[in-house]
Amino acid sequence: MEGASYQRFPRVKIREVKDDYMKFELRDTDASIANALRRIMIAEVPTIAIDLVEIEVNSSVLNDEFISHRLGLIPLTSERAMSMRFSRDCDACDGDGQCEYCSVEFYLRVKCLSDQTLDVTSKDLLSSDHTVVPVDYSDASSGFDNSTNKGIIIVKLRRGQELRLRAIARKGIGKDHAKWSPAATVTFMYEPEIYINEDMMETLSLEEKKELVESSPTKVFDIDPENKQVIVVDPEAYTYDDEVLKKAEAMGKPGLVEIHAKEDSFIFTVETTGAVKASQLVLNAIDVLKQKLDAVRLSDDTVEADDQFGELGAHMRGG
Amino acid sequence: MNAPDRYERFVVPEGVKKVSYERDTKIMNAATFTVEREDHTIGNIVRMQLHRDDSVLFAGYKLPHPLQYKILLRIQTTSQSSPMQAYNQAINDLDKELDHLKNQFEGELAKHTRDY
Ligand SMILES: [Zn+2]
Repeated sequence: MEGASYQRFPRVKIREVKDDYMKFELRDTDASIANALRRIMIAEVPTIAIDLVEIEVNSSVLNDEFISHRLGLIPLTSERAMSMRFSRDCDACDGDGQCEYCSVEFYLRVKCLSDQTLDVTSKDLLSSDHTVVPVDYSDASSGFDNSTNKGIIIVKLRRGQELRLRAIARKGIGKDHAKWSPAATVTFMYEPEIYINEDMMETLSLEEKKELVESSPTKVFDIDPENKQVIVVDPEAYTYDDEVLKKAEAMGKPGLVEIHAKEDSFIFTVETTGAVKASQLVLNAIDVLKQKLDAVRLSDDTVEADDQFGELGAHMRGG
Repeated sequence: MNAPDRYERFVVPEGVKKVSYERDTKIMNAATFTVEREDHTIGNIVRMQLHRDDSVLFAGYKLPHPLQYKILLRIQTTSQSSPMQAYNQAINDLDKELDHLKNQFEGELAKHTRDY
């Protein structure tokens, strides 16, 4: 028997997209979906990160595990991650986690031969796969001189010091270790709905209006220079701090301003580490959530076992 | 030293069922679903979707302990439906909602990347 559908049809409006940043509105759904997407972007969208390091020579001032930890935290371009295998599920290398289907090999060989301190950076990592490389943070639009951008510093070497190692990068998720999280920050807020009781506002002097406007710690309200009326300039600047409401109360004007959180509208901001594009991160999160839902569907044997139980139950009840 | 392996949080051990179902012995049309290696992400969306279903009288979930990597989902329905039917319906509806969301998002993205 097929039940009635209670499906929702969410709407999306994108406000801004950049490679590693985006802002969008999500409407006609509830906080559970918004929060599930946020949680998945942070902890369950896969990326690729260094997971195994074999150190050949390390005469630097940092010890082997310190350097290994730093290598793990370097974001690697991970467009391939969604279609890649987890090492634990890889048949090709049988749990070894070092085959081409589930890993990417890196080499780092640096020695300082001059009196000048040598910076070892993420750019010195040589990848066996040109699609998986340390994220390039030099941005032509940033206005900085790109020739000075050397990537993420791993260690500094003085004359005679050397670092030689092999590293294996694997697919993983943020739930396992934060180094695999593609998200720098993912947040959402309820869209606020701000209502000003204009009749009551008219009873305020200009001085009182200014006081009210000033009472908000963020610039939500302002006074229209033309007609000296209190206007909402930026509803989203409101942090649900209740300060204006308390102020109205203190002025003996409860209900002067009313603020409601719309329970089906959310404003998302997504920032990534550069491992995947922000827009791709959202799409991957939707795919991951769909896969998770698919995994929690009841198996046929569970349904069958219950059907038998049902008959037995009906039989015992004398049906 | 004796900390559980990190993968314990999301890899279902061999021989363990992802979802198991247990009927309530005392209440009609009530059951508990045990979902292995899932947390609030799945628990909360399924619960909220079940609340939209008119035939669902009760739907709630809990994460019994942070080191027990499973959730318990309890559903009671009217005699018009059954916990299993409501559970399946909720997952189907969520799946379709996400299909729709994906289309919406891709459509919006195409509009923005054209002039970007
Ligand atoms: Zn492999």
